[in-house]
Amino acid sequence: MVTISNAHSELIHDAVLDYYGKRLATCSSDKTIKIFEVENDTHKLVETLYGHEGPVWQVDWAHPKFGVILASCSYDGKVLIWKEENGRWTQIAAHALHSASVNSVQWAPHEYGPFLLAASSDGKVSVVEFKENGTTAPVIIEAHAIGVNTASWASASLQDGTSALQERRFVTGGADNLVKVWKYSPEANTYLLQDTLEGHSDWVRDVAWSPSVLLRSYLASVSQDRTCIIWTQENNQGPWKKTLLKDDKFPDVLWRASWSLSGNILALSGGDNKVTLWKENLEGNWESAGEVEQ
Amino acid sequence: MSNYIGDNPYNSNTFGKSLSLRVDGGFKAVSISPSGRDAVLASRQGLYVVDLDDPFSAPRWLHHITSWEVADVQWSPHPSKPSWVVSTSNQKALVWNLSRSSSDAIEHVLHGHFRAISDINFHPQHPEILATCSIDAYVHSWDMRSPRRAYYSASVWSAGASQVKWNFQNPNVMASAHSNDIYIWDLRKGCIPLHVLKGHVNSVNSIDFNRVNETEIMSCSNDGTVKFWDYSIDSCEPQRTVVTDFPVARGRYLPFGKGFCVMPVTGGNNSIYLSSSVTDSDSESVSKFQPIYIFKGHSDCVSDFLWRVRHNNNSDVDDREFQLVTWSKDCDLRLWPVHDSTYEKVNYKRLQPLKTPLPDHEYRTYRQEPQVSRNLANKSSRVVEHFVTKSGSESFRDKNKVNHLAWVSGVRLHHANSQHNVFDQDKLQNLGEEVSMVGHKFPKIVFEKISVSTGTLILTLNGPWSEQSPEDLVFLRIQVSFPSSYPRKECVPHFKIEENRELSASKIEEINEQLSKISRRYVDLEKYCLEPCLRFLLGEKINLDTLLEEEELLNLDAVDHADLHDLSSLESSDIRSGAISEMSRTSDEEAGDFDNKSSNDAFVTRSANNLDLDTTPIPKGCGATWTPSGQLVCFFLTEGKAEKKQQSLLRLGRRSATGFKDNTKPELLYDDESHTVSKRPKRYVETLSASSAQNSEPANSANESDSEESSDSFGDDWNDIVRSDITLRTRMPVFSNFKKTLASIPSDGGKSNVSVPKSKNTVIIQDFSHLVADKKQLALEYTFNGESLEAVCKYNAQVAETHDFEDVAHCWRMIANVLIGREERNDNGFGWDPQALGDQWFIKETMKYFEKLKNVQMLAMLSCILMSPPQGNDDTQVPRNRGENIITFDNDFHGNSARSHQGSVSSSVKSEDYFSTHPPGGKFSKYRPSNAGLRSEVNMAPSLLPDIKIEIIRDEVLDLMDGQTPPLLDPLDEQKYKSYRYQYAELLFYWGLLINRAELLHFNNTGDFFANDLWHHPTGSDLNGSEQQKYTGVSYKLVANGGDSRLNRICNYCELKVDGRGFACGNCQHIIHATCAKKWWEISDDCPSGCGCRCVEMFDVV
Repeated sequence: MVTISNAHSELIHDAVLDYYGKRLATCSSDKTIKIFEVENDTHKLVETLYGHEGPVWQVDWAHPKFGVILASCSYDGKVLIWKEENGRWTQIAAHALHSASVNSVQWAPHEYGPFLLAASSDGKVSVVEFKENGTTAPVIIEAHAIGVNTASWASASLQDGTSALQERRFVTGGADNLVKVWKYSPEANTYLLQDTLEGHSDWVRDVAWSPSVLLRSYLASVSQDRTCIIWTQENNQGPWKKTLLKDDKFPDVLWRASWSLSGNILALSGGDNKVTLWKENLEGNWESAGEVEQ
Repeated sequence: MSNYIGDNPYNSNTFGKSLSLRVDGGFKAVSISPSGRDAVLASRQGLYVVDLDDPFSAPRWLHHITSWEVADVQWSPHPSKPSWVVSTSNQKALVWNLSRSSSDAIEHVLHGHFRAISDINFHPQHPEILATCSIDAYVHSWDMRSPRRAYYSASVWSAGASQVKWNFQNPNVMASAHSNDIYIWDLRKGCIPLHVLKGHVNSVNSIDFNRVNETEIMSCSNDGTVKFWDYSIDSCEPQRTVVTDFPVARGRYLPFGKGFCVMPVTGGNNSIYLSSSVTDSDSESVSKFQPIYIFKGHSDCVSDFLWRVRHNNNSDVDDREFQLVTWSKDCDLRLWPVHDSTYEKVNYKRLQPLKTPLPDHEYRTYRQEPQVSRNLANKSSRVVEHFVTKSGSESFRDKNKVNHLAWVSGVRLHHANSQHNVFDQDKLQNLGEEVSMVGHKFPKIVFEKISVSTGTLILTLNGPWSEQSPEDLVFLRIQVSFPSSYPRKECVPHFKIEENRELSASKIEEINEQLSKISRRYVDLEKYCLEPCLRFLLGEKINLDTLLEEEELLNLDAVDHADLHDLSSLESSDIRSGAISEMSRTSDEEAGDFDNKSSNDAFVTRSANNLDLDTTPIPKGCGATWTPSGQLVCFFLTEGKAEKKQQSLLRLGRRSATGFKDNTKPELLYDDESHTVSKRPKRYVETLSASSAQNSEPANSANESDSEESSDSFGDDWNDIVRSDITLRTRMPVFSNFKKTLASIPSDGGKSNVSVPKSKNTVIIQDFSHLVADKKQLALEYTFNGESLEAVCKYNAQVAETHDFEDVAHCWRMIANVLIGREERNDNGFGWDPQALGDQWFIKETMKYFEKLKNVQMLAMLSCILMSPPQGNDDTQVPRNRGENIITFDNDFHGNSARSHQGSVSSSVKSEDYFSTHPPGGKFSKYRPSNAGLRSEVNMAPSLLPDIKIEIIRDEVLDLMDGQTPPLLDPLDEQKYKSYRYQYAELLFYWGLLINRAELLHFNNTGDFFANDLWHHPTGSDLNGSEQQKYTGVSYKLVANGGDSRLNRICNYCELKVDGRGFACGNCQHIIHATCAKKWWEISDDCPSGCGCRCVEMFDVV
């Protein structure tokens, strides 16, 4: 177990390992991003990235086929793209598409290509495509009027063998207590609202789309109302079925949800400073799979 | 003062003053705009355009990154081309148009020389003409209306040229210096020089025509002499020789009066020497150099010097004024005033009537990105990312974006100090801006030297420090040195007041003491202190006690203290904010320049305007993310125990004050939202105001099923967040406009935030792979291939068993038994046994079970192994297939649903094949009763599993059975299984098991060649399968064409870009690294993408 203490001088808001599990990126209210090299039980700080002018909320690694690329988003309203080449980190791009804090940033599944999804408190979601010729094609959508707290891509579904690009979907969660599912429309060249999921009674803080699609698509949404809802959809179409992860409320607001790669374990975390693990049993009920203590 | 930067040179606040400006970055050459507003500096990184009227602003950076030093840069002297600058880049000359956007500013590239260009000279009369000379010994003259080639060329052949200059009077004459000689050319006379001036005994560094007399030219040389020639009189002997005691790098006639300036190569005190010409023709032709004025101050050799000039437009008298601009290797750009006495000495009388009017230049700066192209440039700045490729224009833009960081670390005019500070935001970004702000605010203070990078200022002012009469002002010269991390705590600037006869030592001491007291106070609060210190020096009273009080308030709402206690006038602060907004506006216009400060300012205004609408949620302090390998990265907030205790004590105290267990609800603070379940503020901004109200006690929310302890810890965490936000806020200018919002909030005023403990945090990475169903260790050993299906299953069962995965092992065994059962039944001719359908049901249930467990690995493995074999009518089943293992083949899933009896025909033929290689009785019976005869186990290492004794069967029976046994997997689910296999392939890729992945992908190979993985095969979609199979020609087209190249240049084995040696299959067009191909083709002849192409066969590449 690797433990890194007090890497940042202020609160950490995100920590993500890269594709190969070798590099850890953390970001913090101290406006920096730190890159650690993690090897077995040891870790080494290799780089501190300065560039944001506000707390950095989230970071995400791109698929390695695009290079060693990290995206970060911050309270300063910007999304910065960082790249490592020959051990040197440089900021290769900045997107100031939003007029308020950008709360989440995520790269699309690599099958889609280099698409970056960002959610902002200005109520908008942006999808930036990084084209081969170096240009970008941002698509900006009004998603949740008060503010978008989170956005997450659907996994690349290849079930029907049609083009993955046509199937692009993502889910957003906002300050209007709603979860919305969006799908790409090639005709309109934008993302159209597919479903609006009502169920939370307070701000939705995180939504996570299960990375693997087996029987059905799974969505997990966590909210400040101290509940977690699992949404399921059969065969990528039809209505979404709502299941409360557990009937009683969590001891505190929930902040983050994360699926394991095959989607069998859900990790939740929140204001009580605990990480709980959940899995679906054979009967389709959700049960605890453990807890992580610091 | 508010429009301190005017469009009139007479409003310039730098003209006529001395100024030193540090510009790091290895700049070699400098030039000045004819209007005198801008200076351009050239380096290997490109051009910097510095606005000399606003030297505090970041220069504009036009990128041109080369490995060659820039030998020369020249600003066009013509009013018709005010934005043209030409610079050298080795053998090319670049003509820049500064009125175009920085990313696209190169107007022409003059490429005619074949070695490095050493000098450029604009024609004094024709704006479109310029001359270049190079060490290739050529002199070219270019007309920029046809810039493709020079319209005039001449060469000396023997020696490279160091300088070229046009004659000021005769537009057809120019001169160039080659080694020790000077050649005078006439364009009309071709390449035969008009004159050759020989006389120097060492190489000539500089030549300059006299502005008035056509045939007079001066030259400077490494031999330490300056020679004045008049080739109309004598081209063999100079008219006059001045001997200096240093090698002379540059010598030029003065643009005013009669005189010249020289600049040493080395030595000479790093100064510029001004001398008047001795017009007395009787004097000796060789004389000692007698400077009349020395511009001394640089600490390293001077690279070049220029004259900044201003005069009134449309003036009919010569009212020009001059300022010397020097650029030195010590990285200081200096501006020197020229005194009237100097004008007199060189016999320059101002306000003389002019014969020809002076050219009028528009007084404007090109430092700012041009307005017109702003949008364009904005776009390009956003557009700068490129992931793998490096096409020319892209990398250019890429550099444009490095801009800011490089500027920060290299130039340090704008962003000084330590790395930390660079990204720190106070109201002021750094010392440079502080100085800039203060400089604009206090016009009476003269900054003699501003070196932000070294943190030193030298300033002069008049303050009421006279000991005799308090009314009198005393001139003070003060050197201020700032520590590198100023204004962090303990980094107090040091003020040094120069000795002054009007001040006694004790008085100086007293002032110093006061200054350090003030600065310490401010710096302890991490505030910039220059302004209060200067106010103090100017005689204002600085009340530090009120500062503290205000500071607290200010700390809460993070307003720059200056705004509140600025007693002097509202006006000045207005001006300041005006200046700042103007600055932000200007740098907004500087597209592509990611100026930290300005964009932040912009953000401030943006977010400040709608603070009420700031719906940023409260920050997460705890979270967990999964990694593909089943590790969980968690981050928590932690707290030291001592701290915790103190905290709870504190809270208890506060609680008792307000009534224990009383839900201390901060009134007005959480408006309507407070009725929601959690009392925790919802918005980020609220967390900030909550902290300021001092009684954020969100822990005791109503529900209260939690134990007291947990709510305690929770509260602590919360306090932690809150506290960290206080520190945050003190440094975040974002909240500078909070003042109004927060003014209404009553402050308990108890605790001061002076020492805010930093919040603590932990990141842990814990292995939870035991919870994840997919196991890498199994994937490593699992096999798809074996003598028979059940052998494969049994082998895999054993693999699972050795790794203690009993349930999985059990499942494998059950599957194996089902398979055996099938065959036995087949043996007995029970092909129509309903039991066969039962098998299908069993398999389906098994799959469902694993679907529920979300065990992608098992799903994919089973779907591969139980996959129905293809029809035997595949054209590509050339004999070589026989060498293949059991299930790697070209199959056709679309054929599955329409399984026909054709299969039996072909398979019976193939069974004979089988018999020819294998004696009956062996393992034959273990084959699937389908048309498996083709696939023998040749490649497989012998299984370690014990053989199962099975009766010999007759192949006829087998043939009969073929096509009648229902497939084990429901063909309707095939799409689903294909997706599972794909997902498992991704998983294998995560694990680095590339061979396994490629093997697996073969199962996903379908009739429609490319559909399964569009990302990898973007071009494949226009080729349909049948064409593919017939097409066997070698094609290199794909590799050669650059169109959609990135997509196609990804190795289908390791998914990384193919850079070096690679193999592109001409059939399926898939690319693979040479090294990957070596690895992969050891195992298989197929294409690693799983497209079904047999690349090796097609081309015999290995």
